[in-house]
Amino acid sequence: MPKNETVARLGLDEYKYDFKTEDKPVFKAQKGLSEEVVRQISRHKDEPEWMLEFRLRALEIYYSKPMPEWGGDLSTLNLDEIYFYLRPQDRMERSWDDVPDDIKNTFERLGIPEAERSILAGVGAQFESEMVYHSLKEEWTEQGIIFESIEDGLKLYPEIFREYFATIVPPGDNKFAALNSAVWSGGSFVYIPKGVKVDIPLQAYFRVNAEQMGQFERTLIICDEGAQAHYIEGCTAPVYTTESFHSGVIEIVVKPNARFRYTTIQNWSSNMYNLVTQRAMVHENANMEWLDGNLGSKLTMKYPSCFLVGEGAHGEILSIAYAGDGQHQDTGGKVIHAAPNTTSMIVSKSISKGTGRSSYRGLCKVYEGAVGSKSNVECDALLMNETSRTDTYPYIEIDENQSSIGHEASVSKVGEEQLFYLMSRGLSEAEAMTMVVRGFIEPIAKELPLEYAIELNRLIELEMEGSVG
Amino acid sequence: MTRPEAAGTATVSEESPLAEMIERLTDDALSERRRAAWAEYVSLPMPSKKTEEWRYTDLTKLEPESYEPLAPAGREVEPVPADDLPPAVREILEGAGVRSGTMIELDARLVRLDLEAAAAEAGVVFAPIGRIAEDRPELIERFLFGSDIAPMEKKLWALHTAALSGGYVLFVPKNVRVENPVHVMRWLSKAGALLSTHSLIVVERGAEVTVIDEYMSDDLDEGSLSLNGVEVFGGEGALVNYLGLQRYGSGVKHFSMQHANTPKDCTLNSFNVTIGGDLSRCDITSHLLGAGSDSEMLAVWFGDGDQHFDYHTLQHHAAPSARSDLLFKGALAGSAESIFRGLIRVDVGAQLTDAYQTNRNLLLSEESQATTLPSLEIAADDVKCSHGASVGQVDENQLFYLTSRGLTRAQAERLLVFGFFGEVLARMPVESVRDRMTDAIERKIDI
Repeated sequence: MPKNETVARLGLDEYKYDFKTEDKPVFKAQKGLSEEVVRQISRHKDEPEWMLEFRLRALEIYYSKPMPEWGGDLSTLNLDEIYFYLRPQDRMERSWDDVPDDIKNTFERLGIPEAERSILAGVGAQFESEMVYHSLKEEWTEQGIIFESIEDGLKLYPEIFREYFATIVPPGDNKFAALNSAVWSGGSFVYIPKGVKVDIPLQAYFRVNAEQMGQFERTLIICDEGAQAHYIEGCTAPVYTTESFHSGVIEIVVKPNARFRYTTIQNWSSNMYNLVTQRAMVHENANMEWLDGNLGSKLTMKYPSCFLVGEGAHGEILSIAYAGDGQHQDTGGKVIHAAPNTTSMIVSKSISKGTGRSSYRGLCKVYEGAVGSKSNVECDALLMNETSRTDTYPYIEIDENQSSIGHEASVSKVGEEQLFYLMSRGLSEAEAMTMVVRGFIEPIAKELPLEYAIELNRLIELEMEGSVG
Repeated sequence: MTRPEAAGTATVSEESPLAEMIERLTDDALSERRRAAWAEYVSLPMPSKKTEEWRYTDLTKLEPESYEPLAPAGREVEPVPADDLPPAVREILEGAGVRSGTMIELDARLVRLDLEAAAAEAGVVFAPIGRIAEDRPELIERFLFGSDIAPMEKKLWALHTAALSGGYVLFVPKNVRVENPVHVMRWLSKAGALLSTHSLIVVERGAEVTVIDEYMSDDLDEGSLSLNGVEVFGGEGALVNYLGLQRYGSGVKHFSMQHANTPKDCTLNSFNVTIGGDLSRCDITSHLLGAGSDSEMLAVWFGDGDQHFDYHTLQHHAAPSARSDLLFKGALAGSAESIFRGLIRVDVGAQLTDAYQTNRNLLLSEESQATTLPSLEIAADDVKCSHGASVGQVDENQLFYLTSRGLTRAQAERLLVFGFFGEVLARMPVESVRDRMTDAIERKIDI
């Protein structure tokens, strides 16, 4: 099929989330970061004193830490030009009809209420700095599930909030976790009570609409003993010529025998810096899975981690990265084995095309005493062009001899033989290429919710169209 | 009252024995370079654990100036009777088999230098650096310290150059095949000493040679510091097998910096064995500079007690159609610790690269620790690159099988450790060395 026809059919000839609505917030903090901005955010949220103090302490930590020199190039990131807080509307809505029209239109175009009606247990939507919509189906509310914006979590459930907040990712963890701790706004607060199993996903959408915007969502999830749930986040933004910035912190507690899966599909526009800290504390016989899809952004630095602190805990990180022209995906995962008989698996697949660069950066640490721990890491990278680049930096630190740890990685280009075989069966080169690439990402794509799997496949198809002849 | 800050880094003492030695240097063919290297050493900060490449080995506690530098070897041999050689050295000489060249340095004093007549007639040059600097200055000019040194390596490389106490140049002319290995033994008996030796190996087009650098000492519990630079320059189609054997006694800290410069169709292989010393750090770089160049990099280590071994490797593919294959295997007992940090770097345009990197670690005790970081940086698309790393213990099923056949657990474990090393040791190009290294590992297991 000629390229134009395919493109027209898919309606994907450009970054499809590149639309924007007029920027008319009810409050916009001044550009750049200062103590005053932090105080303003806290004031607007009507927070308790301890939270303001927490923010100010985090700001100091942020200032005291140097910019990381490893990973991606942060030299072009100018935080003085970023708006750290932008309040799009006065209050959060529970009913979709009450959301202001322009914001509603944005999300309609992303297909959110539609998705909610069909397959989701609950939906949250964040526009700029605030959650504009949060709702949970009644059947789940009845079972005691809490699914609120993080601000409401702090207001309505102060005790449980304070017990866990910033205990999994403390502000001193890294420079951007400190920054998020100082200026956080929006995100979800989720509590799944003991033994409750939510069999359809909870979903949050993150949208940055304004130019030079910084989004700092903060999500805290507690999955109580024996509970099960799946949380999905999706991220998009319009393309501007200036840089935008997203730096979230996700904290998850998975209590004994619980099971939690967190899926991220990030398709930020190509002017976005995406620096996120995601971490789960996994207790006895609990199971945590991160499914991490990085397709968009200019630079992403994100390493979802599992701290396996209870005996028999299991952590899994499935990561897929696509780096097109000018993109750098510096992603991977961390597993920390701190208890006996803990197991983990990391599978990473990356594709670099044009001048794209994808880097796998991972850590597998086994502490002394974590006897019987097992970990396996597999990284595969596919390079599409002469100008593409891929890196692999796995750190493996083992202090316990009663453990078994393996790492394998391979880098290749699409095999001539595979192409030849498929083309001899009547496929065009582009079709053959698409098929090989799909096969390459299949082990991860099949774990995705259906609509995301379709989206991923479409994207791959489109990208591959332009890659030959 | 405040005093003005002293210039330069505060850690360098102007009154150290090393500073005095540089001060007293008489002008000769190398003195200029040594003074310049000293100035560079003084000006550079000592890398801390914040430098990624030194994250696991703390140089800030090294205090190189606290050691007494050994006086540089002269140009002539000062022979000692065979009976006065250390027993370990005598033993090697007796069992080594035929050698095309032999060199022995005792505490940086050159006590033996042999080169077989056939090689000498063919134009092979094998002599201490001091002599070559006077007799063949063009070799020194062109090659000595001519490798591309990474920024993180510069401080120690400068120290090595400034403190140079000995070393040799081996030159093999065009199309000459040196029949048997050239074996260089260094023995250290002084505690508190700084030994800095250099091996410069220049092998012209189509020539072949195998070189063994072997380091040994008594147990020197007060500690000594050994720095060793190796540079191999191959010609088109040349073949060099380099063996680095570190069998120091306790107390010694050893730093080896090895650079293989591999042009078109040239093959430079290395095999490193680390058994002794308290701290051993090897930086091993293959610069694959020409199409069709090839480098096989092998290593085995066995650590026990408090030994700390740190391997840092770079397979730098700067040209297309080159191949490199790295296999490093280590076993650790006691509370020994090892680090492997390897990088395959494929430059833009280095198409048809074949590069492999494997590190396997066996932890034989509860207190031992292994860290492995096999990394890739690939900027060309038509390449075959893979790497693998593992850390594990002796397989219980295999142990059970062997013990069910009547072996004791210790015997079974020993057998499995040898099976683990066998894959690498089988590729050792010199049989007598393979046997001796196997014995040395065996002795360590039995302790």
